[in-house]
Amino acid sequence: MSGATLERRLANYRATLAAGGGEPGDRRDGGVGRGSIDLGRRLAEAVDGELVLDPGGAVVRCEPATVILPLDRERLSGLPGLPPPGVPLVCLDTETTGLATASGTVAFLVGLGWWEADRFRQVQLLLPDHPAERGLLTRVAAHIPATAWLVTYNGRGFDWPLLVARYRMIGSAAPALGGHLDLLPFVRRVFRHRMTDARLRTVETELLGTHRHGDVDGWQIPGRFLDFLRGAPAEPLVDVVRHNREDVRSLARLLGRIDTDYADPTARGRAPRGDLAGLARAFARDRRLDEALSCLEAALTDRAERDAVAQPAAPEIDDDIAGPGGRPWWHPRRVADVGGAQRPPAWTRVVEGRLDSPWTTERVAIERARLLRRMGRYEEAVATWQDLTAGGGAVAIHAWIEVAKLREHRLGDPGGAFDATARAVALAERRRRLGMGDPVMERALVDRLVRLRRRTADQPVAGTATGGTSGTRGSGAMSDQVARTQSRSGSNEQAIVRRSPARAFR
Amino acid sequence: MRTYAPAATEVVLDRILDEEPSLAGGVTHHAVIPARQPIWVDPPDWLDPRIRAGLGERGIDRLYSHQAEAIEAVRAGNDVVVVTPTASGKTLCYALPVLQAIADDAAARALFLFPTKALGQDQVAELGDLSRAAGLEISAATYDGDTPAPIRSAIRGAGQVVVTNPDMLHSAILPHHTKWFQLFEQLRVIVIDELHTYRGVFGSHVANVIRRLLRLCAHYGSRPVIVCCSATIANPLELATTLTGRAPILVDRNGAPSGERHVLLVEPPLTDRATGARGSAMTVAHRWALPFLRAGRQTVVFGRSRTAVEIMLSTLREALRQDLGPRSRVRGYRGGYLPLERRQIERGLREGEILGVVATNALELGVDIGRLDVSILAGYPGSVAATWQQIGRAGRRGGTSVAVLVASGAPVDRYVVHHPEFLLDGRSEEARLDPDNLHVLIAHLRCATFELPFEPGEVFGPAAADELLAFVAESGHIRQADDGRWYWSSENFPASEVSLRSAAPENVVIIDTTLDRPRVLGEVDLFSAQVLVHERAIYMHESVQYYVDRLEWGERKAYVHKIDADHYTYANRAVTLKPLDVFGEAPAPGGRRIHGEVMVASLVTLFKKLKFGTDENVGWGPIDLPELELQTTAYWLTAEGASGGWRRNELDVALMGAGRAIQTVAAVLLMVDPRDLGLVTQVRSPHHEAPTIYLYEAVPGGIGLSPRLWERHDELIAAATDLIRGCDCDSGCPACTGPRLEPEIDARALALRLLAQLSADARQPVEAAS
Repeated sequence: MSGATLERRLANYRATLAAGGGEPGDRRDGGVGRGSIDLGRRLAEAVDGELVLDPGGAVVRCEPATVILPLDRERLSGLPGLPPPGVPLVCLDTETTGLATASGTVAFLVGLGWWEADRFRQVQLLLPDHPAERGLLTRVAAHIPATAWLVTYNGRGFDWPLLVARYRMIGSAAPALGGHLDLLPFVRRVFRHRMTDARLRTVETELLGTHRHGDVDGWQIPGRFLDFLRGAPAEPLVDVVRHNREDVRSLARLLGRIDTDYADPTARGRAPRGDLAGLARAFARDRRLDEALSCLEAALTDRAERDAVAQPAAPEIDDDIAGPGGRPWWHPRRVADVGGAQRPPAWTRVVEGRLDSPWTTERVAIERARLLRRMGRYEEAVATWQDLTAGGGAVAIHAWIEVAKLREHRLGDPGGAFDATARAVALAERRRRLGMGDPVMERALVDRLVRLRRRTADQPVAGTATGGTSGTRGSGAMSDQVARTQSRSGSNEQAIVRRSPARAFR
Repeated sequence: MRTYAPAATEVVLDRILDEEPSLAGGVTHHAVIPARQPIWVDPPDWLDPRIRAGLGERGIDRLYSHQAEAIEAVRAGNDVVVVTPTASGKTLCYALPVLQAIADDAAARALFLFPTKALGQDQVAELGDLSRAAGLEISAATYDGDTPAPIRSAIRGAGQVVVTNPDMLHSAILPHHTKWFQLFEQLRVIVIDELHTYRGVFGSHVANVIRRLLRLCAHYGSRPVIVCCSATIANPLELATTLTGRAPILVDRNGAPSGERHVLLVEPPLTDRATGARGSAMTVAHRWALPFLRAGRQTVVFGRSRTAVEIMLSTLREALRQDLGPRSRVRGYRGGYLPLERRQIERGLREGEILGVVATNALELGVDIGRLDVSILAGYPGSVAATWQQIGRAGRRGGTSVAVLVASGAPVDRYVVHHPEFLLDGRSEEARLDPDNLHVLIAHLRCATFELPFEPGEVFGPAAADELLAFVAESGHIRQADDGRWYWSSENFPASEVSLRSAAPENVVIIDTTLDRPRVLGEVDLFSAQVLVHERAIYMHESVQYYVDRLEWGERKAYVHKIDADHYTYANRAVTLKPLDVFGEAPAPGGRRIHGEVMVASLVTLFKKLKFGTDENVGWGPIDLPELELQTTAYWLTAEGASGGWRRNELDVALMGAGRAIQTVAAVLLMVDPRDLGLVTQVRSPHHEAPTIYLYEAVPGGIGLSPRLWERHDELIAAATDLIRGCDCDSGCPACTGPRLEPEIDARALALRLLAQLSADARQPVEAAS
């Protein structure tokens, strides 16, 4: 659009007005001249709601049918991060005119839901026109008692900040909250490992077993409302109202499912392994380590129901061919490496895992070993790690290293630590001969070995340690260096340590 | 064998003038600006005792007169615009009112606006030092694109002084004002530094951003005072008034002292009288810089382009290497360098560890590099204000400083070195902006509606906004509701659709693939990228040469690797022009004068390889890049009278020669950078079917220069005639009719003949002109 055409268009516009095209004011709402009340009436009629006339403006109010949804609040409050039993819960979801939480985005539909005994009641408040926003917000505030906990899905990041901004726009403060339970982080932590994404609709199909038919897509929602404001029929908003009603109801159902299947420790035992591991993480975050441990131990007991839960085909990438972007060079979603901070060595990723990686028995066992260490139960942690070494591979190396750390720093057993490190060295050596070497890790291992050797120089080294090392019988560089280290006197060891490039690595 | 005995600046200067005739001979003017004594004023009584103590601790017992004047005016609730030279203690003019406001009321907030995000850090550091010395705990924080998210929310909640740039204010702060309500409710002082940079389209945008800012302040019930600081320009008061929409008080009586300053205007030696060719400004600047560097004097050399900077840097380093001089203490400094590198160079200059720096105008704005001894300008920077900013980089309070302006081949440069009064008489150019430009106004009206609904009859800019709002409502993004208010009714985020620097919001990232791990070397804007990093170009960074292997135009990435070549590349830009609309047209002697809107297309088609030192052409290659388009306003003149009696190639030369002369005098008359005006000539314009000379404004949308040129048409023709007639070349030279394209044609005589036909006194016989 050029400046000239803009100028010309403005001139044309002025000319049209002068020629009797009407006053600018008459052209509002696409030239139809409808008022707020009229908009409200049409909207109320279409969505089967009532038009309520508040001092702050006319608002359309819908009250969907109540559903029976029992919730054992006492039991539910036993889970980490969930609200205490006494406080009221208010489920909330908004539909907005855009995705930016900036000042020009309006929440035109606020869905609210709460429990009255076993019944879940819902109210939906709709904005028929911009000026009525004060009325809408006042009514929303009236539904949120000061002690109430809000229950939302991604409400911490989106719905609530948006509403806070809207309250500020009308010059008042947002209603006070007792707390805010955003279920999105909980779902991510506990269920993400078996879902393709963490959207509420995916939660419905995967967790609640419900399907929506003819649901409106999120991206269509703002347009439908804005078209209505400009004079289009209100009927397309019917789907939006239903979408919002289902969203709020799903929040309640999700809470119910968490209550029945996860809040009760015996019911929890039937949950899929990964759910329990995720729940353990949630407990651990809340410093409830005993409960976390019992979750993990339950996850490690075999149960038929649990193993029946299908794991999605997570893209497993063989660590040895993964390129710098975390994906192999031929992978279409590989991220180009343009420098920047150095990545952690490959072997750490083997045992870290992400929220969406599957919870194998091995990964749960690693989690348990870490938890035991955190709880100060070092002997058991060592035992768990030692069990993990049986699997071989990179995990075994990592497990031996962990055993070495625990023995050296927690159990005061540098000899045992030396032994464990030597075993890790032997395994790394074998992997290297198979073409799966990891120079960074190997250097770190040798450093550790040298340090432990020095530490144990005064005391006689445990027989197993020497045995373990000599048992490798390798002619590789690592064994040579280790052998040299063992045969040399203290001053030479110093020299080796000094030469080592990665001696800061522990 | 050379000696590197440190010597005083004036000693080195005397030695050059006495013993180096090849350098001294080029001096066309040598002005000595005497040292100035400070005018002291005691700090006012109302100043908080803690602030006085803090000032005392930092060795400031008294204020300069302009500082006192400024803070008194702010105290009385007035807006202020402070205009004083570089390094005259401007920071205190706004730091003291801000500190006082916070000392009075810890809830008070202040907003600092700097034109780019790199600037302002030093001023914030200074404010921080002063507030610490005063025992006031002030949280001052920079809020820009690099600020991490957790820190952002802390700044929103508790930052007493928020430092940002207009772009951030426009796209991140104003649209999210509900998150910034503490700032808006308690905003007491708005500081706009480097006011003179807010001109043209950018200034027009910023003026509207400030309208939106003040609108939100009014909504939250605050009425901040605005303190503007500017380098010397002719119309600071007018600029500040237009930019802020308020009526500030002008403070321009400088009370700061300065040492003795020598200003030398230098013309490179004539190498060929027939063509008027002169030595290169870069070579002469380099020769002037060497003796000072060898004597250990801190020297800054300003080049006009990034390429010029890199070439001078490598030749300076080479010269210093040959005679074992302080080679590694000379650094480059320009836009493409990464922020960290720049900070390191700035610190090195302040601490004296870096002796010399070769820079573009990136160093001209308020970056704190301390005060140097010598400033050498290779080429006139394009405006008087910029010249004084660059000259001001040298100037120690106690000692003597030297500034050397070396003329390049450009006609304006020659004009300046031969008319010292232009530079030294304190005249300087006007900064122009047009905040009511319809394009800009409507863009910001949309943003403002998004931020806060418009009340019926509410004024935005020049008038009540209703008519324009109704006009925008036609396209559906805004609607007027039943209560008469105008509401944003679109899911779009309007601020993201508006770039304040509309020229080229996107940058091309340069990636060095020499090492195994590729790294980002720097970035250039789209327009420059076409000539700097096209495929097979030699791109220079820190005087290291890089060969451009690949330019991914769509992805905005250029892949380069290090090479060592004896040549550099120079890309030709071909410009075509098409009139779109005529805003004004009138008959003129010999033709017509017109101003209106045009579309300028820039196409880079080939590059030349030029040998270092000799600039000998050693090859060329094609460039395949899309055309860049610029929509702008232009002034043009047709010469219907000249369509008969001319040979086509002669007319071509005459149009070009006359056009260049007009371009030169237009830049001088309007006091603008000649590069703000582009020149295109057409022997037979398809639009007018007559010989035509176009002068277009080199910024999108224009900044209102063309109507002024159109009004002063006769004056332009007369001055251009004078310029050519007064030139002492034989048959046209770069200083009057421009570089000669066809040596056998007498461009000078042809241009004069054409101008005579166009002049108001057209009846005068043509012969009289020569």
